Amino acid sequence: MLKMIRSEWIKIRRSVVWLLSGVSPIIALAIGTFGYRPKGGFPWEEMLSLLSALHAMLFLPLLAGVYAALLCRYEHAAGGWKQMLAMPVSRTQVYFAKFVILMLLLAVTQALLLIVLLIIGATHGIGSPIPWGTLFASFAGGWLACLPLAALQLFVSVAFQSFAAPLAVNVILTIPNVLVVNSERFGPYYPWAQPMLAMLPRTDYGFGAFHLSMETLAAVVLGSFCVFFAAGWAYFTNKPV
Amino acid sequence: MSNQAWILETRGLTKRLGGKNVVNEVNLAIGKGEIYGFLGPNGAGKTTTIRMLLGLAKPTKGSVHLFGRDIRKERIPILRKVGSLVEYPSYYGHLTAKENLEVVRRLLGVPRSRIDDVLSVVRLTKEADRAVKGYSLGMKQRLGIATALLGQPELLVLDEPTNGLDPAGIQEIRELIKSLPATQGVTILISSHLLSEVEQMATRVGIIDKGNLIYQDGIRMLRERAKSRIRFGVSEPEAAWRLLLSHGYEAAWDRHQLTVERADDRTVAAIVTQLVRQNHQVYRVEEETASLERIFLEMTGTEGSL
Repeated sequence: MLKMIRSEWIKIRRSVVWLLSGVSPIIALAIGTFGYRPKGGFPWEEMLSLLSALHAMLFLPLLAGVYAALLCRYEHAAGGWKQMLAMPVSRTQVYFAKFVILMLLLAVTQALLLIVLLIIGATHGIGSPIPWGTLFASFAGGWLACLPLAALQLFVSVAFQSFAAPLAVNVILTIPNVLVVNSERFGPYYPWAQPMLAMLPRTDYGFGAFHLSMETLAAVVLGSFCVFFAAGWAYFTNKPV
Repeated sequence: MSNQAWILETRGLTKRLGGKNVVNEVNLAIGKGEIYGFLGPNGAGKTTTIRMLLGLAKPTKGSVHLFGRDIRKERIPILRKVGSLVEYPSYYGHLTAKENLEVVRRLLGVPRSRIDDVLSVVRLTKEADRAVKGYSLGMKQRLGIATALLGQPELLVLDEPTNGLDPAGIQEIRELIKSLPATQGVTILISSHLLSEVEQMATRVGIIDKGNLIYQDGIRMLRERAKSRIRFGVSEPEAAWRLLLSHGYEAAWDRHQLTVERADDRTVAAIVTQLVRQNHQVYRVEEETASLERIFLEMTGTEGSL
């Protein structure tokens, strides 16, 4: 398994995915630098809501799809699946390694945004103690909430030869986020909305799906992740190449 | 025959796609140290067969044994001893040749020095640090062969390794492949739709057409099936033809040339004596060998390429 991930690492080490991981943090940097207006007693939490709104609603779900498509593109484009699967490795190892790398890229994206948040906080002179607990819960929660979406996008990207098709699907299904997050009934079950529900600080918002307890959200996320991942894994194991 | 004798053996291998057997009851048998030419027209089922040999696709029926083991049961230990290049070389364009090999090396767990070894076998050492997307097709093919050799395989499966190359590139790959059994000690299965391509290197050939294996034997047996005939250039061919027929020879006259089928040295000498006695002037006695290519065309009933 480790050798598989080490092999995957060479493929992405000098790839364009790293440029993409910087897009959302750079935009957040601009928003945070020019858009921050201190209001009340929780400057860090306010900053977090400001920066993560666009990121979690739009960029994070989009990036999950783009990363998945890029990771599979190398294989679709020049017969990489065939070459890899004609080697002494199991299909399960290949699929798991792809998923691990996908989650790693999303983790890097989250880490970059957290760094941007801390930098902006410092430049605005926010002095009060940094609420590490809240920040960590938000970023790690947003990352974990990407699990079902990442599993779904990897499934779609493995299944389609085309690079554009899974991306188009992803974009079309990300846009309704704006509405879906406000729905108490559908929000938590919509994979594209889950990162935002998990990432935005609970204290500020009390409407729509944000009412839900973390426990409910975690259960839905975990459940749907298992279903999507198992489906993609089973598909890949039996796919003729 | 016991399956221990063969490096690769299939029994009744069948693949059904869209209601049609694209591979039908194929029994391949490849012995150690052979260069086995797997021939057939495009779409005859070569690549589908090779995919099943490597466990990339599942047979509808039949079995595949490599090194005496069943691919369905022991895929990973088998593939450890097999290097392959299926259809076209696989590569990651943004990586250099060395990095491409490193991707595979990490999976195989072979020592790092193997990368330099295989690069020198395919003579890419000088280009090893360039991104592969800038490579010519021939260089990509050579990198594909280097990748296949990386794990020091006992069996090398090369599917159409010269497809799309120019004549110089074809010649280069051919020389390379020919040298491999001696230098690397491998058994090779090489597929092609052109007989001329494997004719000079294969020790045995299998011919597949419309999913059926229609021939499998040594290339020498195939050559013997290539019937030769003797063409006679004489002053009055039609009269000479009648004369030869009356003496019981298998002569043929098609208004252009006079030919005799399957004539050994003694028969030719006797015919010439007869002709000269009857005052025919004999200008030429030529042997005309039907090319292997023509035999293939007759076997597969296709025009142009196999």
